Amino acid sequence: MTPLVRRLAARAPVPVYPIAGFGMRDAVQDLRLEEGLVLVDTPRAAALLLVAGAIGPKHRDAVARTHDALPHPRATVLWGGDGDGLAIADAPRIDRAADVVPALCDLFARLVLGSRPTEEPILADEDPIEWRGVGPYGQGGTGMTGGTPYGRPMADLGPDRDGLRLDVVPVEIGPFFARLPAGLVLDLSVAGDVIVEAKVASASLGVEREIQMGAARSPFIRALSGPVAIAELEVARARDHLRWMAGALHAQGMPSLGVRALRLAHEVQPGDGDQVRNFGRWTARTGLFHWSLPSGAGRLAPDLPGMGLGPVSRAAGLPEDLRLADPSYQALGFAPRVLDADDVGARWRLRVEEAAAALDLAARAGDAFAGLTGMVESPRGRLTPGDAPSDRAIALIPRLLEGLEWSDALAALVSLDLDLDESGLAVSVDAAVAV
Amino acid sequence: MVALGPLAVATAVTLTALLAVLGLWWFGDRGRGRRTSAPERVPFTGGRAPRVHAWNRYHARYYPMALMFLAFDMEMVFMYPWAVVFVSEGLIAMIEMGMFIGILLLGVLYAWRERALDWA
Repeated sequence: MTPLVRRLAARAPVPVYPIAGFGMRDAVQDLRLEEGLVLVDTPRAAALLLVAGAIGPKHRDAVARTHDALPHPRATVLWGGDGDGLAIADAPRIDRAADVVPALCDLFARLVLGSRPTEEPILADEDPIEWRGVGPYGQGGTGMTGGTPYGRPMADLGPDRDGLRLDVVPVEIGPFFARLPAGLVLDLSVAGDVIVEAKVASASLGVEREIQMGAARSPFIRALSGPVAIAELEVARARDHLRWMAGALHAQGMPSLGVRALRLAHEVQPGDGDQVRNFGRWTARTGLFHWSLPSGAGRLAPDLPGMGLGPVSRAAGLPEDLRLADPSYQALGFAPRVLDADDVGARWRLRVEEAAAALDLAARAGDAFAGLTGMVESPRGRLTPGDAPSDRAIALIPRLLEGLEWSDALAALVSLDLDLDESGLAVSVDAAVAV
Repeated sequence: MVALGPLAVATAVTLTALLAVLGLWWFGDRGRGRRTSAPERVPFTGGRAPRVHAWNRYHARYYPMALMFLAFDMEMVFMYPWAVVFVSEGLIAMIEMGMFIGILLLGVLYAWRERALDWA
């Protein structure tokens, strides 16, 4: 009986927790299109850990902690990157994208059938904080309220929004939290589910500059050092917005629509604006804007003028767009879409409209090349060597999150469309220009 | 033998219970799986270790709503005696209950205006 159960289990979709290292964000997102895989949102629900691309030394401890959070039996697959310092013994290494899914499925089957042993924990079996007996509030100890003693201190008291004095819990989220870009660490103080204070503890993957310079470049990064065709830029912009939508829909608990958005991101061609508009209507029909997205949350208007945050600025009514200063775009009659709602929903709507308009513009552009050099309007805003829009957006996170409930905070963070890879690549272009 | 009947039953029950406990113990031991290490037991927040104890006091925000539910739920008790005399009293009972529920409804509207129905 057991072998039959095991054989059936081995054929189930493989639950994978991915860690997208430098330059692997899109490649990991594309795994959502694979039938045989399920990308889960927590390592507790996964059987396999996929470490894709390079991860800097400062986050290797976090990789180990993520690895140890997987339940037994578990295994790891290293895709690209060197995997150095990750201390995961005999994890299969894969270089070609085509080999990833077969390798994951094969490893999962062997794990379930028992022909491959589970991976031992990487971190030592010791409590990070030494046990000091029963704490000042009776925490720890044994029995109903204590369980296994940890000896961690209790959270401090702070004022609650109802005038009470309740615990303010410090929580660090990231660097490998499923809804945030890999490398982003938020240091939050939370009272109940309301964020009282937010700080950004890390905003990079910390990989070496040589790896950054060797990574594949998007048309927007290439536009910083040479001319790129407008059609290519605009199709890439539409695809980038659709990829963002796929991730954001997933974050809103609509994975099937997210997969459709991702498929659309692969399929759209110049002139396919109406397809995107149709898809936008579909998402609106789900009631997303009425029920799911926090209305009026995530406002940033006072901080936005001059920030050049692309869709975030334009959703708040600021016509900030480098394409307006580009004679090639002027010749095509380009006018940016602008809304004046400045909240999470407005950023969704604007990105849908912009993706559709970009595809229409790409169809009109013919062989024209963008006219500006050394700067470009990326899908996230004004991009120049060494200065990426995500870096400027990250500076706004503390003000954005304070006072929001956790679910709204997450929706607001997702609406910023942070891309730490783009930041790293902009720095590497800066280095290349300086050399 | 007849006198020993209750004793035999009690012994049989005790022995069965003992066997069941031992059996469950044995099964539980087999199915226990591996012992987890300290880093495997902590909650996952993205790869950083928790800094404070998991115990914390937060505001149970459904509390005022639960109180309101109890208050209005108790008012419904008044409808039982009313239902008993409703047929004999007729329209006048209907109007009186309408007034009663109308006043209660004003209370709900007031609580709504004061945002007592917001959980979050």
